[in-house]
Amino acid sequence: MSKPNEMITINIDNQILEVQKGLTILQVAEQNNIYIPSLCAHKDLTPFGGCRMCIVEVEGMRGLPTACTTPVEEGMIIRTHTAQVQAERMEILQLILSEHTSSCLICDEKEECKKYMGTIRKAGVTTGCRYCPNDGQCELQDVVEKMGVKEINYPIYYRNLRVEKEDPFYDRDYNLCILCGRCIRMCQEIRTANTLAFKQRGRSTVIGPAYDRTHLDAGCEFCGACVSVCPTGALSEKVKKWDGKPDGEVVTTCAFCGVGCQVRLLIKGDKVIGSLAEDDPVVNHGQLCVKGRFAVAETVNHYSRLKKPYRQEGGRRVEMSWEEAIQQAAEKLSDCPPQHFGMLISPNCTNEDLYVAQKFVRAAVGSNHIDTSAGLFYGSGFNAYLDLMRKGIPLSDLRKASVILVIGLDVRFGRSVVGVELREAIKRKAKVITINPDPHSLALIADRWFQPKPGTEFDILESLLKLIAEKKTTTSQLKSKRKPQVDTEELSEVAGMLKKASSPVILVGSDLLRYDRSVEILETIGKLAQAVGAGILPLPAQNNLFGSILMGTYPELLPGGFSSTDKERLDDLSKRRGKDLSNFSSGWNAEALSLGTKLKVLYLIGEFPTSLRPPCDFLIFQNLYPPEPGYEADLVLPAAAFTEVDGTFINGEGRIQRVRKAVNPPGEALPDWEILSRIARKMGTKGFDFSSVSQIHEEIASLVKGFGEFENTKRIAGSLICEGKLTVPQTMLQESKKADKKFPFLLHTLIAEHAYRGLPLSTWVEGLEALFPEGKIKINPEDAQKFGISDGDQVVVTSDRFEKVWVARILSEQSPGTLQVTLRQSESIGSNPFPVRIRKKDV
Amino acid sequence: MNSFDKKRKEAQKKWDLLKASKIPLIYLGTASCGRAAGAMEVLESVGKTLKENQLEAKIVQVGCIGPCYLEPLMDVTLPGRPRISYANVNPEKAKKIIESYLIQGDPQVKMAVGHFGDDGDEFTNGIPRFFDLPMLKPQVRVVLRNCGFIDPEEIDHYLAHDGYVGLMNALGKGPEEVISEVKEAGLRGRGGAGFPTYKKWEICRSSPAEKKYMICNADEGDPGAFMNRSLIEGDPHAVLEGMLIAAYAIGASHGYIYIRAEYPLAIARLKKALSQMKEYGFLGKNIQNSGFDFDITIKEGAGAFVCGEETALIASIEGKRGMPKSRPPFPAVSGLHGMPTIINNVETLGTLPNILRNGASWYKQFGTQGNYGTKTFSLVGKIRRSGLIEVPLGMTLRKIIFDIGGGSNKPFKAVQTGGPSGGCLSEEFLDTPIDYESLTAAGSIMGSGGLIVMDEDTCVVDVARYFLDFTQKESCGKCSPCRVGTRHMVEILERITKGQSQAEDLSKLESLGETIKRGSLCGLGQTAPNPVLTTLRYFRPEYLMHVKEKHCAAAVCRELIEYRVVPEKCTGCQRCVSVCPTGAITGPRAEPHNLDPSKCIKCRACYEICRFDAIAGDAIIIRSKGRSADEQTK
Repeated sequence: MSKPNEMITINIDNQILEVQKGLTILQVAEQNNIYIPSLCAHKDLTPFGGCRMCIVEVEGMRGLPTACTTPVEEGMIIRTHTAQVQAERMEILQLILSEHTSSCLICDEKEECKKYMGTIRKAGVTTGCRYCPNDGQCELQDVVEKMGVKEINYPIYYRNLRVEKEDPFYDRDYNLCILCGRCIRMCQEIRTANTLAFKQRGRSTVIGPAYDRTHLDAGCEFCGACVSVCPTGALSEKVKKWDGKPDGEVVTTCAFCGVGCQVRLLIKGDKVIGSLAEDDPVVNHGQLCVKGRFAVAETVNHYSRLKKPYRQEGGRRVEMSWEEAIQQAAEKLSDCPPQHFGMLISPNCTNEDLYVAQKFVRAAVGSNHIDTSAGLFYGSGFNAYLDLMRKGIPLSDLRKASVILVIGLDVRFGRSVVGVELREAIKRKAKVITINPDPHSLALIADRWFQPKPGTEFDILESLLKLIAEKKTTTSQLKSKRKPQVDTEELSEVAGMLKKASSPVILVGSDLLRYDRSVEILETIGKLAQAVGAGILPLPAQNNLFGSILMGTYPELLPGGFSSTDKERLDDLSKRRGKDLSNFSSGWNAEALSLGTKLKVLYLIGEFPTSLRPPCDFLIFQNLYPPEPGYEADLVLPAAAFTEVDGTFINGEGRIQRVRKAVNPPGEALPDWEILSRIARKMGTKGFDFSSVSQIHEEIASLVKGFGEFENTKRIAGSLICEGKLTVPQTMLQESKKADKKFPFLLHTLIAEHAYRGLPLSTWVEGLEALFPEGKIKINPEDAQKFGISDGDQVVVTSDRFEKVWVARILSEQSPGTLQVTLRQSESIGSNPFPVRIRKKDV
Repeated sequence: MNSFDKKRKEAQKKWDLLKASKIPLIYLGTASCGRAAGAMEVLESVGKTLKENQLEAKIVQVGCIGPCYLEPLMDVTLPGRPRISYANVNPEKAKKIIESYLIQGDPQVKMAVGHFGDDGDEFTNGIPRFFDLPMLKPQVRVVLRNCGFIDPEEIDHYLAHDGYVGLMNALGKGPEEVISEVKEAGLRGRGGAGFPTYKKWEICRSSPAEKKYMICNADEGDPGAFMNRSLIEGDPHAVLEGMLIAAYAIGASHGYIYIRAEYPLAIARLKKALSQMKEYGFLGKNIQNSGFDFDITIKEGAGAFVCGEETALIASIEGKRGMPKSRPPFPAVSGLHGMPTIINNVETLGTLPNILRNGASWYKQFGTQGNYGTKTFSLVGKIRRSGLIEVPLGMTLRKIIFDIGGGSNKPFKAVQTGGPSGGCLSEEFLDTPIDYESLTAAGSIMGSGGLIVMDEDTCVVDVARYFLDFTQKESCGKCSPCRVGTRHMVEILERITKGQSQAEDLSKLESLGETIKRGSLCGLGQTAPNPVLTTLRYFRPEYLMHVKEKHCAAAVCRELIEYRVVPEKCTGCQRCVSVCPTGAITGPRAEPHNLDPSKCIKCRACYEICRFDAIAGDAIIIRSKGRSADEQTK
């Protein structure tokens, strides 16, 4: 058995090298700047040996072994560029090119063309490089260049395959495919999603999902990792297909959920044209989900982006200069009594924006009316959820866990990087148990899926807790009590598994929120973790929920998470700001907007709390996009997206992460902090002379424990203080509800998690519509049949409080007697579950 | 007496009882080959005839005895008389034989093909001994010793024929000694490459691992090859015993039989044999009290040719697509599920019980230095006596083709050895001894044992195109030389057979062939060009004729041939006129017909009907367009 770092001596092209044992010849060559052409090899994937370009001569070995698959051995004598090797490579490359539309690769006028663009290519040819979306970024092109191929001695076989465009986000033109198998290995080995495979044999060999299903039907997560590793133009992103080679890259933190993946933004000119996974060793390990991979550019480049401030006059947009806009805002705010003011700011903003916002409300307006929409999202269990977050463990602990309990979490599209970790865990024989009332992708691969009927979620967790607490549990004991709709024997087994497990982990998603018994559910999860010594990790939907707590953008919290009733802190802050902050009125929060409390001025930063304009005299609307129809904002201020600002986020694990500016905001749009600071200065408030984000960061560091230098990123989960109990939405505390004769179905609602600054990403990213079916109500086929409902029909859903119309989606995994629908934040109807009746809508 | 001896004794008793049967025994070869020839219809007829005549007889369904050209074979033994074999039996013939022999005692000497008794027996006067038939006489039956004699679905029949004695000997020796016995016997892998079996085993045995696997490769995919299927159908326990011996030697605890799903009968027989083994204590925990645990799973392959390649086969068992992997690591070090794995061919395994039972020195009496033992072949093609044969290694091709096979009806042209990856050898190689080295030196391979004989009616260019087309279609698509290179070669060959070839085509075929051989990942690609390269070597004039003169001497290549009516021979029977789908043939009754070549689509219908159904018999000829009629004989 070889030791891990054993060194051996080899001779490669007459160089004697000390190299690490276990490496392949290709790896050694790359480390020592010896060029061996290769196409199918990729640093992250297992050796394949398919393209045969990397053949070399090795003394004592039969034939021409491939460098990518052959490990180095002591005393090996390798020759990488003999005449025979080069001749064979040339033949093989020609064979590969004969299956590829490649006239431009070997065109006589190639050189001239590059200089003057004077050839026929300008006229739009149907084959060749210029036709290929990968021109200039193609690895095959590089190899052809380096090998100096001048002609192809074989006829070209254009395969004439149909270009596959039916799936969202990327097109597949297998006429350009060289069957290197990278995409398949990525999909199977790294993502373990197993969507892609080789199909057919011989000349008909082609890549795709089995049985010719679409990628969507075959379980694809649209993570785009296959597109990233494709060496040719066979796989190409729909949106940036013809954008060409980017001219710059900036690494930043994705703002689309609390995982906090590191993304590489691709820049061309003054636009972000795409995003790729950064090979980050801490959070996402070179992987992304569909949102980070495909939604960034489309979201920030949408045509509806606001570019100039404007005011609304009788339904007309009247554009104004920043000067005028700031003046108007300052006037309105100066005239507004603090108790008639309110601000909502999105927890998608940077810490620096959030900090300035709360400072603005408290110092400039003199109010305490600042909140985020998080309370509406988390409902009555918000405080309990924050309690769990404080105990959060790093994501990397998943790699040590032998048992992972996943509660209310779906990982197919959003957070699919966590899905990768879970599948890795399953691969190394860890047990994964999922509790979720709704069908989800994890159910297919988990060891156990408990599917509680809506309303019994708490019972199942409570039973599990009891089973763990009791030394010996017999199922008969449980039978006498109220029991959940699951197999108690299985539950008992899981209890045993958890008790015996080494460093178990509990992952908490957002699917069990907004329940009548949310508080009990979340508290029980905490107790479960304690009982078995499990690490707990809630995965919040909002990327900077943690930051919003620490920055104090809640009526009950001050920066640092201190209670806003803390006299000492208030005095300190008053001194720092030169303004008396001791008489804060409280009792206002985001919920008040839907309850009809009228304000004089409402300031919304990246939020859409209700579906219609909340009652107020003057609405300041600051976002990337114009207000939704029905909002009628009085003053609209264009803000910058996360790709256009510097700053920091704190992800769900409590890790401070850098946000880096990649491009300028469009038009005259400005970062939120800058707009707020300018208004504050106009109002004559001191302490808003920020000229850079790092100045704000320094100020935060003086108030918030754990905040250090701007560039320094670290985990500060332990220092999350949340002294003040947040006021939770009162409308969500209701009696436990059961189905009855009048309302025989139980409806479970989810809030669309793929939101950014108040709206679902699918508002701007068309492809996401197919993946996140909002407003589609999932019905069991048998139930649907009873009511004569077929897929796509409109269904009227009635409860004692509402009547809604949604589109039917028939799904065999949906439990009979239950319904599920995903809604926008602003359309939320209260806390789960809802006893309802259904009927097909008359046409 | 231990339990094995007891079982053996009981089995022997059972067998003796059958032999001493008071009622007639009727043996029917009902392996797949027999069935294809109509054995099941014969079986039905036999049953009906017995019932009609209220005769009592025991029917024993046996495996294939070898001579395919004699199928279906039915043997009859009357009490106290030797077994007599009848060939090409059909239901009517079977009825006649039974009625005549069982009722009247007339063995129908004219219909009999051979007997299994002693010479000079009064009952078999005028019938040759079966094993004295020219096809059987030169053969040595080691692996096939039980095929056609025992009921493959009876473990007792196998036990009565020294079954599992080899295993018991092995268990008595210990693994190391088993390996050295096999080393001493000089057994080489019968799957094709001829790698010494013991060497693979030793590597596997010395690789430390928590689990090891033994796989039987029964993915026989060569067109025209059926050695493995016949062996499994005729004597499944021999293969399974071999698996146990091999597994014991390497220290494997689990085995797989990877077999094509296209072999349903073989699979059924294996399944039956496995359940019998369990019942008799040859499978499971502590086999025959030796402390050796072993279990076997049957894995049915979906028919991809490449799955016969070891690493592809392993991938297929793992549930992945059957695609070969680069070596090292070799399966003997890291195979199935990353564990040391040995894959042996059906025939290799079928040989093992014989070596362990009789010893290495006994085995070495067969064959030649370095190529000991026997080898089975499926002898097919343009040959008079086709079938499954077993001969000692080192026998010349001439002896196999002419003495055993009886040669072809028309002058011999070539023999293809080793299946689609093998080469075509011309007449000058007929005296080549058939062994691994000689065949390789001639540019061909032993392969798994397909021998396809061709006569002058075969066009070698067309044959080369056919085989390459097969491997090209069966390429897994992983590596570019094999996937793309073979495709270019096939298209060049197609061009040649269509008379559209270009001057540099032959040299291009050669250089491309060499690139594919050197550059491909697995055995499939590395051998795929062999049929083309060997025919180019030994039959170059025939290629040149196609290229330069657009002439196909064998009159096979469609684009190069034409159909003609020979007016002197045509009787004007109009049969050809009635079958011609394009109306190319016209002519009044009783007068020589006229064939319009511009309408002819060369469908062969007229030719066939003229040969078999028409009055004249050979008034329609097919001839190459490349040369004048005088130069052609056909």
